[in-house]
Amino acid sequence: MRSFRYQDRNTPVHRLNPFPKLGWIISILILALVLDSPLFLLLLFLATLPLVRASRVGAEWRAFMKLALYLSGAIILINALVSSHGTHVLVELPGHLPLLGAPVITLEAILYGVAMSLRLLAIISAFALLTLTVNPDDMMLAMIKMKLPYKSVLVTSLSTRFMPTLLDDVDRITDVQRARGLEMDKGKLRQRIKSRASIVTALLTNSLDRAVQVAEAMESRAFGTGRKRTFYRDISFSPSDTAALAVSLLPGALGIFMGTHGYGQYQYYPSLSWINLTPGEWWLLGLMVLLLVALLPLAHLKQRVDLD
Amino acid sequence: MIKIADLTFYYSDTTQPALKDVNLRVRDGEFVLLTGPSGGGKSSLCRCLNGLIPHFYGGKISGRVSVAGLDTLKSSTGELAEKVGFVFQDPENQLVSMDVEREVAFGLENLGFTRHLIAKRLEESLDTLGIAGLRHRPLSELSGGEKQKVAIASVLALHPSVLILDEPTSELDPKGAEEVLSIVTQLNHELGLTVLLVEHRLDRVLQYADRLIVIDKGAISLDGGVNDILTNRYRELSDLGIGVPPLIRLFQELKKRDATIDRVPLTVKDGRALLKKTLKDRSPPADSAVAQQKTDGKALIEVKNLWYAYPNGLTALKNVNLELRAGEFVAVMGRNASGKTTLVKHFNRLLVPTKGRIMVDGTDTREATIAQLARKVGFVFQNPNDHLFADTVYDEITFTLKALGFSNDEIERRTGQVLEEFHLTGLKEHYPRSLSGGEKQRVALASVLVAGPRILILDEPTRGMEYHLKSELMRFLKDYCAQGNTVVLVSHDVEIVAEHAERVILLSEGRVVVDGEKHDVLSQALLFSPQINRLLQPFARYGVSSKILTVSEALDVLS
Repeated sequence: MRSFRYQDRNTPVHRLNPFPKLGWIISILILALVLDSPLFLLLLFLATLPLVRASRVGAEWRAFMKLALYLSGAIILINALVSSHGTHVLVELPGHLPLLGAPVITLEAILYGVAMSLRLLAIISAFALLTLTVNPDDMMLAMIKMKLPYKSVLVTSLSTRFMPTLLDDVDRITDVQRARGLEMDKGKLRQRIKSRASIVTALLTNSLDRAVQVAEAMESRAFGTGRKRTFYRDISFSPSDTAALAVSLLPGALGIFMGTHGYGQYQYYPSLSWINLTPGEWWLLGLMVLLLVALLPLAHLKQRVDLD
Repeated sequence: MIKIADLTFYYSDTTQPALKDVNLRVRDGEFVLLTGPSGGGKSSLCRCLNGLIPHFYGGKISGRVSVAGLDTLKSSTGELAEKVGFVFQDPENQLVSMDVEREVAFGLENLGFTRHLIAKRLEESLDTLGIAGLRHRPLSELSGGEKQKVAIASVLALHPSVLILDEPTSELDPKGAEEVLSIVTQLNHELGLTVLLVEHRLDRVLQYADRLIVIDKGAISLDGGVNDILTNRYRELSDLGIGVPPLIRLFQELKKRDATIDRVPLTVKDGRALLKKTLKDRSPPADSAVAQQKTDGKALIEVKNLWYAYPNGLTALKNVNLELRAGEFVAVMGRNASGKTTLVKHFNRLLVPTKGRIMVDGTDTREATIAQLARKVGFVFQNPNDHLFADTVYDEITFTLKALGFSNDEIERRTGQVLEEFHLTGLKEHYPRSLSGGEKQRVALASVLVAGPRILILDEPTRGMEYHLKSELMRFLKDYCAQGNTVVLVSHDVEIVAEHAERVILLSEGRVVVDGEKHDVLSQALLFSPQINRLLQPFARYGVSSKILTVSEALDVLS
């Protein structure tokens, strides 16, 4: 649980201004939505790896990816069972499913599922990087700069702040109830849910008490006075940051170009074909990867420039 | 200056006033110590001073409150924030940012200060509290004492003229508490800040406070100079159930018996000087050894070569060997992270040894479940709130029995009995969380003891607890012990241990450093000894045993 939070590893990626990182995420989202070809999607995912490596958050990133892999497995399985399109039938399952008829598993459906999960992996990998390398307070500032309302942003940041406290509460309350003889893993599902209810109730009541106290403390430090709030810290924008932001948005622009001109597409159904890229598409693919990875040298460069 | 005139306040939906006809004036620069039973109105009074009452809480209020020239009824909490700094009990629940700098800047940002001014104030507050070294550290990595200092810095940054602290040390260990209190005194002495401190640990602050105010049942029941109250109005104070440091209790008793003692010392140093005068012209009494009790009951818990390492690799216990017998009252003491809680969590299998074994009443803990052990070992945690989740006191208590699979008749019988024993019968349909502090503690105890364990473990049960609740709990524990049961008390509270325990186990870095009768363990240490022992250490040459720990032991010898 603890590993899903920001950790300051003080790498160039950590020190990079949060806006280029946000721009990079937007680019990846655009590309993931626009592209269809499994080859493009695979490279989109792989292009996130150099940044992950450079930010030294491998262990935490893997925890995210483990979750993503479970999801991917589910997507592939469900798609294979539900979609009966495609001509290469691998298995014909006996029986009859309601609404779907006799289930067949086709090669096309499996590959389509794989492509969908590559899309998911690329997005989760990028978001994991964002979560793990941007200080939540900086994220808050970035959101405020993007004109999101301060109070909503604050609530988000408070929930991050109180996550560890909540986890401690869970540990303590669980110990209390176990010491009283509550066996949480005994009995049928119903029984187990009931046992956990005692812990959840205590936890919720505790959290409500906490919420009132936090509100009191904020009020006594002049929160919500109606005066215009200032911010002590700022996200400074050096020329190198502006450059990084521009570069981070380029893959997104490329994605829009590819989408509107029909590049990076692929037909899964009714029958698979070999991926035949035109020389133009090879160039686009290479350019996409290059632009996505370009943030890394820029992060290093920023450090050099800003030290001067 | 604080002026309160005819203040009466009702929380919404209550018919009992939380404060009733309060009149109070506090001069600039005064250090006021506020005490009284929990639920008596201390916190409500504090909240009236920075406008949380009525602006945050609502309710019905009459009378006038003015602080530094601002009428709190007419001013917003935002305006008052620049006059009154408020520090709350739980450091965890008053910090809203991820790191120290941002936390201190929070109030200044709310008030719309310029970046330049924030930078200046930030620097100044960090330096005043001596926490500049922590400025970039994430708050989650700080100790309780450090967090509380950050909280103080963050209100100090607003340049208040009054500082209110509502039990700021009750969640802290002794070291953290001492640091926080000494900073508070320093702020009063060096910066001339008016301080209103609600505190139960009187021994650390009495000597620095100018004035002592007791609030009970919503009214000020005692108000005066610290020295005056402790010397001349001690009866009134003790009738109100306010606990005073053992040093003062001792001298009050001596004063009754010996006319030459005409005042009460506030520090050990002063106490020694006073005592020296009276002891000088007295012939040394025969060496007075303190009677030592011995328990030789059957061994209920045996710990053999216990090693424990947490999953993250930290070795918390290193080769611990112990034997706890029936009828023993054992205190487990030691610094933070010395392994106290880790050790006792083994006794009911919340933790399983990495190496070695634990026998509880003849059963190897590895071969039993926690639920099976729950009938033998009760575990009471520090905060009674963690125990309470049910809708009624009755449900809370039967929950344990149901979880343990008792029959309905047996549940009925045991619950009735335990409700009676803890004086909870009248409260059995009440919602446990809305009870008073003492009642909550009784419900928590009852919900554990209803299973009929012969061993009771308590993890820091007295932290932040007021004096008469502590005494009530200790009286109960002694009765429980006298029936042949074993009490294991994890505590930082030297005075409580000195007064009530029999045996003390001292842990350090996961090892048992000392294990023995309390008089042997707690005497003749520097800070670790109880106040009375520190007082009497230099008088061994007058025949006063250096093993005396408590007021009653001292009285036996001195008079």
